[in-house]
Amino acid sequence: MRLEFRFDIISDYFPLFMRGTLYTLGISLSGIILGSILGLIIGFGNMSKRWYLRWPMQGYIHLFRGTPLFLQILIVHFGVVVMVIGKTDAIVAAITALALNAAAYTAEIYRAGIQSIDRGQSEAAYSLGMTKSKVMRYVVLPQAIKRMIPAFGNEFIVLIKDSSLVAVIAAPELMYWAKSANAQYTRIWEPYLAAAAIYLVLTYSLHRLLIYLERKM
Amino acid sequence: MRKAWLIALVVGLVLVLASCGAKEDKSGSKNDEGGAEVKVYQFATDATYPPMESMDKETIVGFDIDFLAAVMEEAGLEYEIKNIGWDALLESVKTGSEFDGGISSITISEERKQTYDFSIPYFESTNMILVKEGSDIKNAQDLKGKKVAVQGATTGDKLMTGIMGEGNNDLKRFESNALALLEMESNGVDAVVADNAIIQEYTRNNPDKKFVTIYDRENFESEYYGIAFPKGSELKAKLDPAIKTVLESDKYKEMYKKWTQSEADMAGLLSAQ
Repeated sequence: MRLEFRFDIISDYFPLFMRGTLYTLGISLSGIILGSILGLIIGFGNMSKRWYLRWPMQGYIHLFRGTPLFLQILIVHFGVVVMVIGKTDAIVAAITALALNAAAYTAEIYRAGIQSIDRGQSEAAYSLGMTKSKVMRYVVLPQAIKRMIPAFGNEFIVLIKDSSLVAVIAAPELMYWAKSANAQYTRIWEPYLAAAAIYLVLTYSLHRLLIYLERKM
Repeated sequence: MRKAWLIALVVGLVLVLASCGAKEDKSGSKNDEGGAEVKVYQFATDATYPPMESMDKETIVGFDIDFLAAVMEEAGLEYEIKNIGWDALLESVKTGSEFDGGISSITISEERKQTYDFSIPYFESTNMILVKEGSDIKNAQDLKGKKVAVQGATTGDKLMTGIMGEGNNDLKRFESNALALLEMESNGVDAVVADNAIIQEYTRNNPDKKFVTIYDRENFESEYYGIAFPKGSELKAKLDPAIKTVLESDKYKEMYKKWTQSEADMAGLLSAQ
């Protein structure tokens, strides 16, 4: 194999890679935030004692964890979004698909975090006369959230990497421009290695941020 | 009981895997009657481009496939063709270690000639615009400021990048023409630009969609497909005469009609030789 690395391709596409990175960040952050909020609702629904709340939420989790994200992106883009707004919109579809998918995983993270706090603690709090919501707020959640952070970190890193899948619906993020550069020059290594390096910077920064958060709490 | 289920599941999976593995017993060469090794040339394609090349269940079909069969028969060579995708095709034909050639509606261009050797042209093609009925788009220049879908890495992509400007978010590049056309059906874009054979096949299959096609000879010049070989391949010298014979035969016109439902216009193609 001949190894010649054409840096001119990377410098040629550098502004587009940067713009793509901004889209990747925007799509991923929106997906993380919306997914975490939706996941919170689904997670609590899933822990409910009432079957009519629990069953649909369990169904949701199984559906989105049990099918490929790639398919979910295509279905949301060509199906759900078109049904709602009458035309396709790659950015909307990308954020929606990633958020819906992340919600299923974060719901389980919330559940695992909350259920990991020993029952004795909430029982003790109840015996002091605290209400259910106060027990959650002052006793269970402060401890549970700290335990959830590593799992959330994992999920967010996976989500940033998975956001590359939305290139299939031509959302103009990092992977899309890497593919475009690959298409223009019919060369694989330069655009794909450059994209890999940028993804690594993104995920490693997030990793450091989460470690900082964990220490702070 | 639980254990029994688990064992049944594992045994089932193993059986499925075993039956899949059993089919793959082909190698790069095979014995003829005399026992001597006959080289089986390996060709790569990206079978996502009907009617030129596409999958029909597990077999690769299309004009290119029939054409290659005729050429290899004429040249008296053994060959196999595999669907490996566009990126992999470009990369592996370049190195030449695994594949001896690629046939996949590959347009011969000066740029590509620096990386590959090409056979003589075997197919004339031009890009075509697909728009909705009543659209104000009349030619390629009208596409400036509109949303356009193309298959990435095609000549349509290249032409539209030239017209709309590099880094334009309104030019949407998809993995396949099928996805680009689906984007148009879903009102995501105003037009699709692709090879005429593809657009015509699509409009033939979807007469109810109310789309119209536009030729733009001024902005979209004719291009010619060739078989790509690794640089310095000995195969080019073997196949070029066979391609010429097939082009001049009635067989070519028959397969042209079979796959594109239109008559072959040989004048441009033969003058490009």
